[in-house]
Amino acid sequence: MKYLLLFLVLALGGKHAWTHEFTPAYPTLEQSYMDGILVTKMLLFNRREDVTYYELSVFDGQWNSIPFAATDKIVEVKYLQRKYVDIFIREKDRSRAVYICSKSKLQTDGGNITVVSSRICSKIK
Amino acid sequence: MFKKSLAIGFFMALSMFTRASAVEVPIVGNVAAKCVIVPDTAGVYGNPTPDKLSTATADGGVQPVVRFDVLQANYFKAVISTPTAFSVSPALTDVVNWTGSVSTSKVSVAGMSAYDTNKVVYNNTSEFNLTIAGTTWFKASSTAEYGSDKALPSGTYRAVINAECIAL
Repeated sequence: MKYLLLFLVLALGGKHAWTHEFTPAYPTLEQSYMDGILVTKMLLFNRREDVTYYELSVFDGQWNSIPFAATDKIVEVKYLQRKYVDIFIREKDRSRAVYICSKSKLQTDGGNITVVSSRICSKIK
Repeated sequence: MFKKSLAIGFFMALSMFTRASAVEVPIVGNVAAKCVIVPDTAGVYGNPTPDKLSTATADGGVQPVVRFDVLQANYFKAVISTPTAFSVSPALTDVVNWTGSVSTSKVSVAGMSAYDTNKVVYNNTSEFNLTIAGTTWFKASSTAEYGSDKALPSGTYRAVINAECIAL
């Protein structure tokens, strides 16, 4: 019943279906094709019509930045597009790296309104 | 005899053809722990007095609403911050005093109403542990007061609500 209600809310709920998804919630790091470099694959799904770019970042438990590599650190994801991104982290940072986040990049136009910047952080297993 | 064999052959060929023409198109789905952030309503600042911008309905504003959908309980926390600066504004020569708060405005499961009592507030940020699977709408209020009763310069003002969903 709870899931039926959730489905109905998701299907019929908001006036705008503008969502930002970043999965999996608990990614695992695996050995990449390079020695000493680990990799995980994340999926970004953009259903925000007002956003085209998302910024990727990696943090430790205290929200300090951890160095990482990806094809682009600011990823272009068009409306309704899904994009897989590989995040490369040094093996020596494995114990420090806790969160992989994606944050919406907003444009600075519009009237007297407050806009919502969304950030979703997955936790490395 | 020949006619009988021909008929059997015809029906076998027909059945093979029918089978061959049925194509299976797979649809694959995956339900996993995830959090979805939905900017539901854009906020609007009302300008009730020359020195004040406010999202309160009484001040002519609209409160921004953010929706959080979580598919599994106890996997995420919502962290919502109200603005402490304008992202777009005319040149301001005096300080702006910011106030703001966040609370639930609508819930898909009655138990979620406890989120307001259990929230943790620090600075301009409110944290909610999403302990129940389902959808929660959070509304934020934001007020900016300029200087000491100084009139805000005319122009466009824009501020940003930061909504974060963090895996626990």
